[in-house]
Amino acid sequence: VPVSDLLDRASQRSDTLHALSTLLTHELDSHFPPLGRVIMPRPSMCHTSSLQTPNDKEQALQVSESDLLSLARSLLQAWIDPLTVLSNSANNLPHPAQNSISNKIQELQEHSKSLGDGLDILSGKMGAAAQGISFLPYRGGNDIGHDKISKLTNFHFLLSCFRRDSHKIDSFLKVLRCRAAKMC
Amino acid sequence: MRYSPPEKPVLTRCRSPEKETFTCWWEPGSDGGLPTTYALFYRKENSETVYECPDYHTAGENSCFFNKNDTSIWVNYNITVVATNALGSTFSDPVDIDVVYIVKPNHPEKVTVTVMEDKGWPFLRVSWEPPHQADTRSGWITLIYELRVKLEGENEWEMHLAGQQKMFNIFSLRSGGTYLVQVRCKPDHGFWSEWSTTSYIKVPDYF
Ligand code: NA
Ligand code: NA
Ligand code: NA
Repeated sequence: VPVSDLLDRASQRSDTLHALSTLLTHELDSHFPPLGRVIMPRPSMCHTSSLQTPNDKEQALQVSESDLLSLARSLLQAWIDPLTVLSNSANNLPHPAQNSISNKIQELQEHSKSLGDGLDILSGKMGAAAQGISFLPYRGGNDIGHDKISKLTNFHFLLSCFRRDSHKIDSFLKVLRCRAAKMC
Repeated sequence: MRYSPPEKPVLTRCRSPEKETFTCWWEPGSDGGLPTTYALFYRKENSETVYECPDYHTAGENSCFFNKNDTSIWVNYNITVVATNALGSTFSDPVDIDVVYIVKPNHPEKVTVTVMEDKGWPFLRVSWEPPHQADTRSGWITLIYELRVKLEGENEWEMHLAGQQKMFNIFSLRSGGTYLVQVRCKPDHGFWSEWSTTSYIKVPDYF
């Protein structure tokens, strides 16, 4: 399978992944305690925030193909553990849409897994420089909180970190896709 | 006339047309009967430094334009507008934005419509270009397109989703006459543009 086809499929997956995380955020927002917004940790507290990533077009277009792929893989890898935490917590989330949220988190996990497998294959085809990934451990533990407000707040916080990271992954893959196709 | 401090301004909208620059607009409240100035301040996530709007002119009245150098994505901007007159200052409610979630492109350009024929039946071929500011070639922004068409004098538009293509054939013509065609676009994660200006095309009476 040509690299351009693999990138095409991968960016369709990443697009879905980000769209799902946006749906989830809106669903969660529909019943969210005002206090939660006040005590919500800042985005700089996300466990992936130490990863240096480009933050505009000019910077992104200067990053090599192998580095773009390795950034996407590092971010995806960093979410394996916290997505499990989200999935377990979704089972008893004190929210009226708990069932739907739980199902969507499961979909997120499945899409992340298959996107990760696809990117592994791609990195194998793109040479040694594309193999390296940064390790971004999640140290938040398995428990997202005891009372209703802290459960909802921490869940929302983790999800908003994922939402931003999935947008980065999607953007990097779409730039890669157009480079592989020479131009979009 | 009783003078007073200005009413609280309201930050109404922020928009990025291409994921590279953005503009925010506000509505001033009453000026309290005194000359009043407006200033927009912002602070970016991970920094304590407060900056003032870099450009009040480019986007017109009651707006602030952030050019490429002043725009980052995946970074929250906390934005406030301050109204000041001789009796005091009032602050708008602050707004938090990440540029990736305020993308609404300009409408597609160079829309052309031609009448074609397939086995004796007419159809419309519509083609267009992305808004020139949007860098779709590098993949920085990905656009999908939607068309709508109607016979002159009809009320209902017929919609067609074209995906990422920049050309679309409309086979569902029911009679000759003048057809109106418009195209709009939406980024992968953002809002629909306005519709393009209407293109008119006359279809001869084949029917
Ligand atoms: Na202005
Ligand atoms: Na910039
Ligand atoms: Na495009």
